[in-house]
Amino acid sequence: MITTRNLTKRFSNGVVALQDFSLHIDKGEFVFLVGPSGAGKSSFINLVIRKELPTSGLLKVGNMDVALLKKNEIPYFRRNIGVIFQDFKLLPNKTVYENISFALEVIEADTREIKIRVNYVLDLVGLTHKRNEFPSELSGGEQQRVSLARAIVNRPHLLLADEPTGNLDPETSWGIMELLKEINKRGTTVVMATHNKDIVDRLRRRVVAIENGRIIRDELKGGYSLED
Amino acid sequence: MKIRTVRYFSREAVRGIFRNKLMSLAAVGTITMALLIFGGLYLVTSNLQYWGQRARNQLEVRAFLTKNAPDRQVMEERLSSIPGVKSVKFISKEEGARILGEMFGQTDLFSHGENPLPDSFNIYPVRGADVEAIAVKIERISGVEEVVYGRNFVRFLNLFVRLIWIVGLILISLTVFAVLYIVINTIQLTVYARRNEIEIMKLVGATDSFVRWPFLLEGIYLGITGALVSILLLFQGYTILYGKAKSFARILPVLSSFEVTMDLIVFLLIMGIFFGALGSILSVRRYLKV
Repeated sequence: MITTRNLTKRFSNGVVALQDFSLHIDKGEFVFLVGPSGAGKSSFINLVIRKELPTSGLLKVGNMDVALLKKNEIPYFRRNIGVIFQDFKLLPNKTVYENISFALEVIEADTREIKIRVNYVLDLVGLTHKRNEFPSELSGGEQQRVSLARAIVNRPHLLLADEPTGNLDPETSWGIMELLKEINKRGTTVVMATHNKDIVDRLRRRVVAIENGRIIRDELKGGYSLED
Repeated sequence: MKIRTVRYFSREAVRGIFRNKLMSLAAVGTITMALLIFGGLYLVTSNLQYWGQRARNQLEVRAFLTKNAPDRQVMEERLSSIPGVKSVKFISKEEGARILGEMFGQTDLFSHGENPLPDSFNIYPVRGADVEAIAVKIERISGVEEVVYGRNFVRFLNLFVRLIWIVGLILISLTVFAVLYIVINTIQLTVYARRNEIEIMKLVGATDSFVRWPFLLEGIYLGITGALVSILLLFQGYTILYGKAKSFARILPVLSSFEVTMDLIVFLLIMGIFFGALGSILSVRRYLKV
């Protein structure tokens, strides 16, 4: 699903976010990216969704070389990827339903199709009863579930989660993890950047540890740190 | 583009306006102020121009005939055949004496002696601007002794009319840039408040034009609203001023509000739409680079 070879990202101010980053993630995998803040986890995600361009090296998503995407191809490329953010990025003046349907409106899906799919994901994240409320009326966990629903509503092949539990208490975090596991079980590749040690240690999935922009460990069924 | 999408755009544009009421109000206010300036400039310029043109159209040339000039019929034909002449009017020396007498308050100015005045013609041009050229041609006609017209006044008027045009045009084009700058800044604030929305749209795979359309429509709606408000204010204000000016209207002719209506409405609407649309497009552009 994602292949990188010697991927390097250097910002114009000289900061190196990723260096010599070589990684292969298969279709259907569940991968944790771990490491301290500023290690390069978010930069990696920004490269995958083509928010940033690599400085050098190869980055392939599916069978697309991301660096070769034309400007007008980027929107269509992104329709295959769902993204969740630590700060949810919900639109405050849209209801729960609208926040989710929005992702389908912008890709000009059918009205009927939109209704069916939004109702389906609302049910999946357990928020059908809050469909007409605004984000400010929801708890943090509920907001993250809306953001998750929006990310998966157009059935992406790849789901990227950037610290999705960063703002949530442990119990709510587990609710989100259950959903991510469920989505992964249905065939979506999930890549999650986190520094939630507890979650990584208990789930025992593939762990890619990053430090100073380099991969320092890549372990199947790994823990957050080497000792675990 | 699907019809459904067009509906979505217009719905989003209207929602955008009402969910960001304060920002929309600021944008409409700015556009209204800008258009009031334009409208004011336009009204002043067109009235001055109208005034100048009217004065110019009241111009005439007087041609005094020699003692042995051909008779009236021949002279009238000669004068009328000059291109640009609308009409000519014969004034006999007796009538000339009467007019002169009236001016001095005497009816029997030359009754005791010989009337020394020559016969004359008043020549009216089609266009006031041609007075000078016509006068030159009349001078060359045999039988004409002297030609009189307000040479300096004519030159002044021609310059005046042209100057108003130029000054008005310069002022309007200078203000266009200043106003555009202010309007763009205001709209940029409204867009800035919604940069997250744009970012999310881009991240879920919206094309640039899809993001742009609702903002563009919103800008156009705001522009039209601003134009309508300014039109209303301008006409209210102008009607009041016109009422006051009408009492001097004989000295200083003023265009009635009906005479300026259509042009001004079209002008302000176009300007409003232009400002709103351009402001939106330029403001959104910055946030599309996601």
